[in-house]
Amino acid sequence: MTVFIARRLLLLPLVGIGVTLLIFSLLQLLSPEQRAALYVTDPRQLLALDSIIRTHGLDKPVTVQYVQWLWRVVRGDLGWSETAKMTVARAITTFFPATLELTLYAFVPIIALGIWLGTKSAVHKDKIIDHFSRLFAIGGQSFPTFVWGLLLLMVFYGALRLFPPGRLSLEANLYVLDPEMFRPYTRLLTVDALLNGQVWIFLDALRHLALPVITLSLVSCATLVRVTRSSMLETLRQDYVRTARAKGLEEPKVINKHARKNAMIPVITLSALLFVGLLNGVVITETIYNYPGIGRWGAGAALQLDAAAVAGFALFSALLLVLGNLTADVLYAWIDPRIRLR
Amino acid sequence: MSKTRWFILPVLVLALAFAFQPGMATGQAVKNPDTYVSVSFGDTDSLDPGWAYDTASLTVIFNVYEPLIFYEGGRMDRFVPFLSTAVPTLQNGLLSKDGKVYTFPIRQGVKFHDGTPLTAEDAAYSLQRFLLSDRDGGPSSLLLEPIFGLTSSRDDKGNLILKFADLQRAIQAKGNNVVITLKEPFGPFLSLMPLWSFVVSKKTAIANGDWNGTAATMAKYNNPKKESMGFFEKANGTGPFKLERWDRAGRQIILARNGSYWRAPARLQRVVLRQVDEPATRILMVKAGDADSDGGVSRRELPQYEGDPNVKILDDLPTGVSTNPAFFFTVDIDCRGNPDCGSGRLDGNGIPSNFFSDVKVRQAFGYSFDFNTFLQDGYRGKATLAKGMIPLGMFGFNPKQEYFTFDRAKATAAFREAHGGQVWERGFKMTILYNAGNVTRELGSRILKDSIEALNPKFKIDIRGVTWSSFLAAMDAGKLPIFWIGWIADFPDPHNFAFHFFHSDGTFPHSQKFKNGEIDALVTLAVKETDVRKRQALYFQINQKYFELAPSIATVNAIGFRVQRTWVRGWYYNPIYPGTYYYTIWKG
Repeated sequence: MTVFIARRLLLLPLVGIGVTLLIFSLLQLLSPEQRAALYVTDPRQLLALDSIIRTHGLDKPVTVQYVQWLWRVVRGDLGWSETAKMTVARAITTFFPATLELTLYAFVPIIALGIWLGTKSAVHKDKIIDHFSRLFAIGGQSFPTFVWGLLLLMVFYGALRLFPPGRLSLEANLYVLDPEMFRPYTRLLTVDALLNGQVWIFLDALRHLALPVITLSLVSCATLVRVTRSSMLETLRQDYVRTARAKGLEEPKVINKHARKNAMIPVITLSALLFVGLLNGVVITETIYNYPGIGRWGAGAALQLDAAAVAGFALFSALLLVLGNLTADVLYAWIDPRIRLR
Repeated sequence: MSKTRWFILPVLVLALAFAFQPGMATGQAVKNPDTYVSVSFGDTDSLDPGWAYDTASLTVIFNVYEPLIFYEGGRMDRFVPFLSTAVPTLQNGLLSKDGKVYTFPIRQGVKFHDGTPLTAEDAAYSLQRFLLSDRDGGPSSLLLEPIFGLTSSRDDKGNLILKFADLQRAIQAKGNNVVITLKEPFGPFLSLMPLWSFVVSKKTAIANGDWNGTAATMAKYNNPKKESMGFFEKANGTGPFKLERWDRAGRQIILARNGSYWRAPARLQRVVLRQVDEPATRILMVKAGDADSDGGVSRRELPQYEGDPNVKILDDLPTGVSTNPAFFFTVDIDCRGNPDCGSGRLDGNGIPSNFFSDVKVRQAFGYSFDFNTFLQDGYRGKATLAKGMIPLGMFGFNPKQEYFTFDRAKATAAFREAHGGQVWERGFKMTILYNAGNVTRELGSRILKDSIEALNPKFKIDIRGVTWSSFLAAMDAGKLPIFWIGWIADFPDPHNFAFHFFHSDGTFPHSQKFKNGEIDALVTLAVKETDVRKRQALYFQINQKYFELAPSIATVNAIGFRVQRTWVRGWYYNPIYPGTYYYTIWKG
């Protein structure tokens, strides 16, 4: 297993170079003036455009430019984001924790419900639970996120006043902004609230997470239910499952120990992609719920043609994707030893 | 733990999360009684009174800083003393008989937010700093014109022509007084003071790296970069509220009550100005009581508030001092690295930088706009078609003025003539820009796009919403081929419109790179004219020229409205205010 992980880790720099080359090539489609924002840390520097172009070699051969740019990227210097009015690196560290928190909370129900319902559906094929799960999956996938988002917002906030938008209520927001009262250890509000001993802020943050989590769960879970169901159906038809049943194993053991584990490969792939997708920002959900995450910033940057922010966001997303794939690979190997032996 | 319990646990946690939280549905009880929350879509450009010239920024500024005199309630023509203890008049001797020297006795015992006392020196410095900063297209021309007879502090080559000695002579701190000497009598001078004489702390300004008040450093602080200014993101005023935080990540500005205010402290303890882009979310927040007013609501969304017993719609507010919105053409676009110009050539995939320099193109766009659809869909009929830049009801407005109407034949004819027929022959591609979140301007952009694209399949238009502060920066830089924006008067006089819509040193023509010597002379002549009839005739003439040259197209004169919770008390309407003045407001 260690060798397998080490081999995968060794591939990371190569993947990283490939990703940076791709992003850099796309950046070359922009004019030097547009790319200048990638090389400043303060908007005042943009006044001297020609100087930036000269200093950073934006008029030099692309190989020279690539090396210079890559060196800055490695040092975490990703330029200035006009959209966020701060450096790209700072924008990422500012907005990402909110999205990470949302993702972590959303991922648990997505995985739990997706696998549970998908399994139940396959085991009880054509029974009520199967019909229900298929209906759930179709419903979740058919409606666009903004429909679910607005619908839930209108019912649970507009009508029932239960789950408000934003990340915190006014009182809690003012409290956490006071550096003398509240220390942001992780920037994950629920975690920081507990570390600061403020249970009311923890509950307040949870209350604000509820609707985005439900929305994401509804939309993302539907896909997972379908994939789990079909994978389980295929596995349940395998000879070894029939053998397990023939030798008198209890049905829960057959399902949970023998069938489900082997049906998990496509589910893990999908889960890793879902997780990374959520981390990259859930633009519509964050916009509807006024949730200050990285997706809203990234989408805003794209609309503003904020080249530095878009490039930084793309690099960060690529990094997450690579790490997500690595995690999925490791999980494959853990679940199915044949994979690491190949 | 059994599997079933695993599912019950998060449900229980969530149930707990809201069951023990404050802010549950509480009927009519006032939520957050000491804090006012305003939601809107625009972000703040700058907090510096020497830079800011937009409503989103001035909303903050005029609650944090204070002028020498202020408007009397909802009146635009009557003033009350503020940081000056008297309003200069001939009767009280604070206005000289020749109408050129204004003396403002500075109020004693007033403290800045940092606790330091206000002095006449601070007030004089603030006015001098305002005149000196004079950024391109900024507000400084408002005072440069009456005080020095200049529309800019720089010559055509960008050299500073404002002399330190002149500055010192025109604005003087004499004992506890600030004395302002005008070049010539200027009738509306006092009406400029309420919004353009904000007093900052000289000491804080210098500490923040701003101008130190000497001749040697003047040039460095003329036409500065926004972020270089001492009060761009910091504040130290004397106003009823102090800046507690500009929380950019949370997209909100928090103001806290000034406990040492020279009048009785404000009743609100805090004011929170939040940026919420999604209209549906804003509406639900107001309805739920989590926000007290919706500053971003358009008339199209107003029905969603109608019938809610907890929400008050104040409609039919007179707006005789604004022309909003209009679409503007940049006649010399900065197309360097500018995707909104497409290819940057007239080849069917872009526009050259001089695309709008041909009046025929501008007129074609004017005749292509379906004004009536815009009026009906955007304003539900509650607006009148604009007849030029001077708003309906203001002196200088000409009810018989020619104006653009939707006319495909005229639009086609103008397009065929434009750039020697090349526009029609080759086609073009470009972007229309508006400030993101403004659904009315977005609608206007769509109407323009649809009607122009319908004229010729070679005409391609994209539309793009840009965050307010980025929009203003791109506008100032001349990067927007066409942009939507509106104007609220700085003082209720047609000159304020003629200058900023038409004069080359005005805010919009500066961004548009529009310059016409004849127009500049006409605008200058009109403001100096003392004969009312002659002056009116001059504005009629200017408006006619505005129609003929079409540097921008004014669309409608809208009727104002406001949406707020019924528990909001003390709000009053003054059409010239850039936003809400929170000092008089409380919740109950």
